[in-house]
Amino acid sequence: MEQIKDFINIISAPQISFTAIILLFFFIFPPNDLFYKIHRGLRIHKLWTKGGGITIFSFLTIFFIFGITDQNFRMIVTKPDNVPIVALLYLVVFFLWFSLKQAYDNDKRIDEGKGPNEAEDAKQKVLVWPDLVYIELIAMVSVAALLLVWAVALGAPLEEPANPTVSPNPSKAPWYFLGLQEMLVYFDPWIAGVLFPTVIMLGFISIPFLDNNRKGSGYFTFKERKMAISIFLFFWLVLWIFLITTGTFLRGPNWNFFGPFEYWDKHKLVALTNVNLSELFYMVWQNKQLPSNILLREMPGFLLVGAYLGLLPLILAKTLFKKVYERLGPIRYSVFIIFLLIAISLPIKMYLRWGFNIKYLVSIPEFFFNI
Amino acid sequence: MAEDHSNVTNHKRTEDKNVQPTLDQPIDRRSFIKWASIGWAAFAAGLAGYGTIILRYLFPNVLFEPKQSFRAGFPKEYTVGEVSENLKDKYGVWIVRDSEKIYALATVCTHLGCTPNWMPNENKYKCPCHGSGFYKNGINFEGPAPRPLERYKISLNDDGEIVIDKTKKFQQEKGEWKDPDSYLMA
Amino acid sequence: MSDSNKKKEMWEKIQKNQIFRAIFRTGGSITTHKQRVLVTLNNVFLHLHPVRLPKHAVKVKYTWCMGGLSFFIFLVLTVTGILLMFYYRPTVEYAYGDIVDLSEQVPLGLMREIHRWSAHLMVITVWLHMFRVFMTGSYKPPREFNWAIGVILLVLTMLMSFTGYLLPWDQLAIWAITVGANMAKATPFIGSAGPGSSLLAIGDVNFVHSASDAGFAMLGGRFVGEGALLRFYVLHCIGLPFVIMLFMIVHFWRVRKDGGISGPT
Repeated sequence: MEQIKDFINIISAPQISFTAIILLFFFIFPPNDLFYKIHRGLRIHKLWTKGGGITIFSFLTIFFIFGITDQNFRMIVTKPDNVPIVALLYLVVFFLWFSLKQAYDNDKRIDEGKGPNEAEDAKQKVLVWPDLVYIELIAMVSVAALLLVWAVALGAPLEEPANPTVSPNPSKAPWYFLGLQEMLVYFDPWIAGVLFPTVIMLGFISIPFLDNNRKGSGYFTFKERKMAISIFLFFWLVLWIFLITTGTFLRGPNWNFFGPFEYWDKHKLVALTNVNLSELFYMVWQNKQLPSNILLREMPGFLLVGAYLGLLPLILAKTLFKKVYERLGPIRYSVFIIFLLIAISLPIKMYLRWGFNIKYLVSIPEFFFNI
Repeated sequence: MAEDHSNVTNHKRTEDKNVQPTLDQPIDRRSFIKWASIGWAAFAAGLAGYGTIILRYLFPNVLFEPKQSFRAGFPKEYTVGEVSENLKDKYGVWIVRDSEKIYALATVCTHLGCTPNWMPNENKYKCPCHGSGFYKNGINFEGPAPRPLERYKISLNDDGEIVIDKTKKFQQEKGEWKDPDSYLMA
Repeated sequence: MSDSNKKKEMWEKIQKNQIFRAIFRTGGSITTHKQRVLVTLNNVFLHLHPVRLPKHAVKVKYTWCMGGLSFFIFLVLTVTGILLMFYYRPTVEYAYGDIVDLSEQVPLGLMREIHRWSAHLMVITVWLHMFRVFMTGSYKPPREFNWAIGVILLVLTMLMSFTGYLLPWDQLAIWAITVGANMAKATPFIGSAGPGSSLLAIGDVNFVHSASDAGFAMLGGRFVGEGALLRFYVLHCIGLPFVIMLFMIVHFWRVRKDGGISGPT
C-alpha cells in the first residue's frame, strides 16, 4: 500500500508526469500519418471502443476509491470547492472517449464508403415539437435536480473574513484560472497574466481561419483532421486541464509541489535557487562580471528569443512543417506558427527551469521586462 | 469615364421631380464621399469624446485610503538580527535590524502582491501564492519574484521615534537602497 | 365508463374556454402535423428553433446538450443572483456578515449554494460545449464568426465568475482578486508594474503610476478595498450580464442564420 502511494507521489511530480504525458500524447492522439500508423500498430485505438471506455473508467474510479482511503488525498479531493474539478475530470475523460468513439466509428464507415453516422440520421427530418423539446425538458429538469442535491449536500465554502495583511497559505486563484497561475510560476506576470490570455483568446478565435481543411464539418471524425484535433487536444488537455489538476490537487503550502498522498508540510524545503541566462552566460561560463550596459547584458537572451520567434518559423517551414506550409500558405502559416511557438514556450520554459534552474532568458527588472 | 457619365445622367434624372429615385440607383459619388466623411468624422469625434470622459471617470481625484505614514517605536525596541512582525498586520511592514542598519520592508511580494510569511527557522520570507523566496534583507533568491522586496522611507522624529512613510518606496534594482532615506544607522 | 367520459368532457370544456384559448393559441391537444408545426411557430421561446430539424441534430450523442444547458444554467444564475441581491450589501463593513446571514438567518438559504455551484457548472458546460463544437468541426465555414462570438462568451463567462469571486469578501476572495489585479498592473505600457510604463514619462513626471493605471481602473483604488468591491459588484450584477446577453443574442441568431446546427453536407 505505502509503496504504491510513494510510487504515485514520485511519478506525479510535474517533471515526470508532464514528460510522460507529452511523450505518450502523440501516440494516443497522432498528429500525422506516421504517428497514426504506430498508433494503430500499438492498438491504442482500442481505447475508443466500449471495452476501452470501461477500462479507462475502471482505472479512474479505482484510483479515486483507493485514494480516498488516504487521509491527505481525501482532504484535498473532498474540499467543497474541489468537487467541481473531480467532476470536471470525469466529464472531460467521458466526453473525450465519447467523441473519439464516434469519430473512430465514423472513420471506419467512411473507409467502407458509407459516410458518417450523422449523414445517415440527417436524411430523416423531425419536428422540434415534440422531438427536441422533450430532450431539452429532460436535460433542464435533471440539471435543476442535480444542482438542488449538490446545494443540499455541500455548503458553499466561506473562509475567514478578508484580511489584507495575511495571505492564506497556499493562496489559489479560482480553479478555472489555475492553469494561468501555474504559468505564473514560470513566467513574469505580464506574460502569464496578460500576453498568454490574449494569445489564447486570439488563437482560439483564429482556429476557423487557420484550419483550411474543409473535411470533417458537422460530424465526428479523427482520421480526416488528425493534425487539428491533435494540436487542439494538446493545448486543451495538457496545457489546460492537466495544469488545472496539478494546481488544484498537487500545489500545497508555499506553492510547493506535493504528491497526491503527501502530507502538506508548511516547512517542506525545496531548493529553488534560480539564475538568469545572463548570469549563466557571463558569470558561470565566462567567469566575468555582468556588463553594466543592460542591452549588452541581455544580448544572449534577446538573440535566443529573436531566433526562436524569427528564425525557427522559417526553418520549420522548410523542414518539419513543409507540408503544413504548403497547405496553409505564407500568411496562415505565419499566424499559426507564431501562436504555436508562443504556446510551446510554456513547456520549454518549464524544462529550462527544471533542468537548468533558468529563471529568465531576458531579465531587465529596471523596466519590469522579463521573459 | 463611362461610370462618371452614367452618374451624371442619374443625377440629372433625380432632379426631375416627377421621377422617383429607385432603390438600386447609385448615389452621387461626390456628395456620398462628402457626407460619409462628415458622418464618420462626427462619429469618431463623439466616440473619442465619450471614451475620454468614461476613461477619466474611472480615476477619482480623492482617495479614501488609510494613512500612509506612522510611528514605529524607538530603535532600541528592535533586536539586532531579528525581523519584527509587530507592525505587519496593521501597516504591512517588517522592521529589520541588522548589525548596522534598521530598515522597513514592504510585506508585498514583488511577483503578484501576496503577503509573504517570515519563516525564522529557514531565515527567509516565503510567499504562499507562487513560492517566491526572499532573504532577510529582502533580496529575492527563489521562485518567480522578479525583483527584491521594496523598502519604505524611514526616519527619526524629534522625539527619537521611528517614522515610516509608505508613500516613498526604494527599489534595490534601481540602486535606491543606497539612499540615506531608506535606512537608519543604528 | 361514465368516469372517463366525464374527464373527456371536462377536458373539452376547458379547451373551449376563452381564457385557455387566449393563452394556448394552438389548442390543448396537439395531434396533427400542422398543430405541431404551429406550436413552434406560435411560441416566442420555441421560435429560437427552426420548425424542422435533421434527426442527428436532436440526438444527445451529437449535441451533448451542452450549449442549451449553458444557457439554462445562465438563467438559473440570473434568478438566484437577483434573489441574493435582496440581502447582500456590497460594502466592506457588511458584505461578509450578509453572506454569513444568508445561510444562517434566511429560511432554506440555499440560494448561495445553488448560485455558486451553478457558476462552477456553467464554466464546465461552456468548456464542454466548445469541445463538442471543435470535435464536430462545427467552426468551419460558414460558422467562423459564431465560433469567435463563442470564444468571447467563454471569456465573459469566466469574467462573470471572477468578479463574483470577490463578493463574499473572505480570504479566498481578496487574494484571488489581488493576484488578478496585480496581473492587470503588469500590463505592458498601461500597467504601473508592466514593461514600458516607465517610458511614458516626461522628465520626472510619470503618467502611468499606481493611481493611474489599468489595475487602478479595475479596483478603483491602489489595493483591493471598498472601491474594488463596489466596482466588481456592479460589473458582476449589471455590466457583464448586459454584455453577455448581447453576445448571446448574436450567438443564437447566428446559429440560425448560418444554416442551423452543423451537420454533414
